[in-house]
Amino acid sequence: MKREEFREYLQDKIMILDGAMGTLLQKRGMPLGVCPELWSAEHPERVTGILREYIEAGSQVVYTPTLGGNRRKLAEFGLENKVVELNRRLAEITRLAVGESGLVAGDISLTGDYIEPFGEVPFAEAVEVYKEQVKGLLEGGVDLFVIETMMDIQEARAALLAVKESCDLPVWVSMTFNEDGRTIMGTDPVTAVITLQNLGADAVGCNCSTGPEAMIDIIRKMKTHAVVPLIAKPNAGLPILAAGETVFDMSPVEFGSFIRPLVEAGANLIGGCCGTTPEYIKEIKAKIAGLKPVPPKSRQGRVLTSARRTVEIGPQNLRGQNIPAVIVGERINPTGKKALQAELQEGKTTLVRSLALEQAEQGAAVLDVNVGMPGVNEKEIMLKVVADLSTTVDLPLCLDSSDPETLEAALRLYPGRALINSLSLERVKMERLLPVAAKYGAMFILLPVSDAGLPETAEERFKVIEEVYDRAKKYGYHKEDMVVDGLVMTVSTNQRAAVETLKVIAWCTDTFKAATIIGLSNVSFGLPERGWINAAFLAMAVGRGLTMVIANPASEAVMQILKASDLLVGNDPNGRRYIAAVSKEALHRKQFEDIPRSIEEKIYEAVVKGDKERITELVRAAVNEKISPELIVDRYLIPAITHVGDLFAEKIYFLPQLIMSAETMKRAFEYLEPLLGGEEKSPKKNKAKVILATVKGDVHDIGKNIVGLMLKNYGFTVIDLGKDVDAGEIIRRAKKEEADIIGLSALMTTTMAGMKEVIQLAKKEGLKCKFMIGGAVVNRQYAEEIGADGYARDAYEAVKLAESLIDKE
Amino acid sequence: MSQSQLRFFKTIPVIPDRGMILARLGYKKRTTALNPSDQQMLDGAVRLGLALCRPAGGFGRYRIREKTPDYISLENRQVLESKDLSRFLRDSEEIVFMVSTVGEEVVDRIFHEVSAGNAALGVILDAVASQTADAGLDWLMEFINKALRPEGKKLTGRRFSPGYGDLPLPYQKVIFDLLDLSRLNLKLNEEYMLIPEKSVLAVAGVEGMGAI
Repeated sequence: MKREEFREYLQDKIMILDGAMGTLLQKRGMPLGVCPELWSAEHPERVTGILREYIEAGSQVVYTPTLGGNRRKLAEFGLENKVVELNRRLAEITRLAVGESGLVAGDISLTGDYIEPFGEVPFAEAVEVYKEQVKGLLEGGVDLFVIETMMDIQEARAALLAVKESCDLPVWVSMTFNEDGRTIMGTDPVTAVITLQNLGADAVGCNCSTGPEAMIDIIRKMKTHAVVPLIAKPNAGLPILAAGETVFDMSPVEFGSFIRPLVEAGANLIGGCCGTTPEYIKEIKAKIAGLKPVPPKSRQGRVLTSARRTVEIGPQNLRGQNIPAVIVGERINPTGKKALQAELQEGKTTLVRSLALEQAEQGAAVLDVNVGMPGVNEKEIMLKVVADLSTTVDLPLCLDSSDPETLEAALRLYPGRALINSLSLERVKMERLLPVAAKYGAMFILLPVSDAGLPETAEERFKVIEEVYDRAKKYGYHKEDMVVDGLVMTVSTNQRAAVETLKVIAWCTDTFKAATIIGLSNVSFGLPERGWINAAFLAMAVGRGLTMVIANPASEAVMQILKASDLLVGNDPNGRRYIAAVSKEALHRKQFEDIPRSIEEKIYEAVVKGDKERITELVRAAVNEKISPELIVDRYLIPAITHVGDLFAEKIYFLPQLIMSAETMKRAFEYLEPLLGGEEKSPKKNKAKVILATVKGDVHDIGKNIVGLMLKNYGFTVIDLGKDVDAGEIIRRAKKEEADIIGLSALMTTTMAGMKEVIQLAKKEGLKCKFMIGGAVVNRQYAEEIGADGYARDAYEAVKLAESLIDKE
Repeated sequence: MSQSQLRFFKTIPVIPDRGMILARLGYKKRTTALNPSDQQMLDGAVRLGLALCRPAGGFGRYRIREKTPDYISLENRQVLESKDLSRFLRDSEEIVFMVSTVGEEVVDRIFHEVSAGNAALGVILDAVASQTADAGLDWLMEFINKALRPEGKKLTGRRFSPGYGDLPLPYQKVIFDLLDLSRLNLKLNEEYMLIPEKSVLAVAGVEGMGAI
């Protein structure tokens, strides 16, 4: 059956698939633990019997018994070199069994390993693994392919590409969703159907997973954007383990009661998965009699996907509702960013990931990714960034490169439906990119530029837009699959530039009926106070129907103007988004208004607020105003840190605030100490010497370091011996330094015994100092047990404890 | 999901719960007050922590060959002597060993920031890293549970680790070797602690969903 015939058939008919194979093979003698593919090839009569029963029950399509017939699965049985042979044989057996009574679907499924960017198996390798299986199935004469029980959208993509690159037969993809409505890797049904149908699947759907009842909702969700027929192949209820065996509890009659709702939800191909038999297929046949399927939709809407999320692009969604303009975060671009350039040159992506997270928090719905710069392998870096971002954030990516090879490689790896930035009427590039974009089903930004250069007027741009669209149509593109770039030029050199861009947006919205995008900041290049111009231009563009804007979401002006503009043009029903955003902002401002204070009060406040950047400057100013250093310490710094301690004790402050204040104090002391007039006037004059260490075998030391910082700020002299410190070394240093207190830290139950060892050794050596302990696994009782003088739960308690231990002395 | 096979994830797509990160830092909802600069610093530090963490992990599933009140023996003849573990696995016929790590970069950065006098940033990164490692284990358990569902099975609700009860820490070495954790660039020090620091091992049992 050719794919056109297949589509035509499903316009007004429901196709019946088969039921389970593996469990029936077991019932007919296949022992547990053998390779099902090998056993099936060696027992063709058993396979043939089951297949014929399915055909007799009403199945119009049967699957080859090759679920685990790929190299990686067969390797578990030492059969990795029999892939083509086994698949060919099993396809031949299936063909012979059903003859012309049914279609034979070459069945492909999981490799059992995880594919990059999530897993270790390179994507290219996964495609090759599947191609090998496809070869055998093709040689065996299958009519079509079905990729089923897929848990990871990326593995499904690899299998789908393997089939598409091997033949022109129809190929279906069926994913497995759990009870939470997502695949094991977090893909939702809508995202799955959009990603797979754009990559060329002829049908998409769901198998295994759940019983038929739960599958209704999955099919209903898929149907909202499905332009391909949908498959439903549920289990016979939910699996249960009984007497060590997995069984399914739904009878054929009960199973059959869900067939009508499945058809009404949008299923076009129906069969059964685990636990089903020919009896269940008979029920399906009986229940679909007289039912008409809901045909696939003619349009999927303007949609981009990541592996875990779908983003709709306006001006309207498929339900005809206006939706707000989408922000494409522009900051992952090394142009003019030295730190990002340096990081990318080193092959690192920490900053890229941080920028992605930040833009996502700030409201970007799509991330533009541009890693092009001189002296680097752009393709290599792009692949690394695409892989990293696909797991860091769930936003779809806009792949931004002028190099077609880079874009092709990125599209192949990207586990969703990407947006390409960009495609124009530069013919050589267009001829290269259009088929690539179409193959991977990407949306693209249409840049109205041609080999003749940048068209100045809107009317010239219309012609370029129409010409590119005419070319794109030949590759199956619709207007919904592209976004027209208004081509923003700076008004600093051409006063008409913005007006022409606005005309393009209006024409696309009202006449050409395409979505539009602008690179916002270009408009103000070369002008002062660019933010105002950008914001004004954005408002005007949204007024003309702009649907996407490439901008910096950290810009408050851009984000607020966009929300206000969306409200004004009716993209924000009841102004909910706008009101929510401005209410939060206003509340935030009101709570923390700055009030001018004297220099002493500012010092106090700097410590309380942990403003270590300003403290030195403030203390210097106070000294210059002839305020004595002693007074600054006694009247402002010490009371401030004491107040911070109280706030921490009351939980009004949490740990980072306590530390920031301590670090601020430290800086103030560093400036003031030389001015304090000798040891006797130092704030440390009455305090003691403390040895700190994390005990032997324990590598955790951050808590101990914080204790050290706090103790120093309260005037103690701290000697920090670090982590994993031997008991003998602690005692030796304590003796040498004549320490007053030894503070010991441990985080593990297995290392806390090291504390006792230190204390016992100290007693043996006749050391008179006090001991305090801390760490996640110890407590006051343990301190008493091992003979320590005290336990501190946190850094502030440690200060109080140290002070009390010294007072006791 | 077949038994005795190791499965590794180069990347675990997990974003830890922000509330749990803040709780590790002593933040109390409706009590702790953050001014705008604190909030900004905190947001930036959490984001940096998330960017520095490289959550990865893996697991291995083994049949339990023999189970007594004192020990369990696995299909590969590995024996785990622990009354507490035997009790924990009383309804399980299989055992799953799991590992979650956030990699070296964030641990190095924590050390660097604390040493450089930016301890506030250091503790926030530390909390993000710890919570991400835990969230990685949660993700793995959820993943394995989803994979077990078609078999009518599930993991024990809780997880166990060497160092809990009477299962001594040296079993970290047993699990380390079974899972071949050098593949994730992990090491074990002489005190059986995983390096880099923010890496965790766990054990769970596989049980039936329920009898009919």
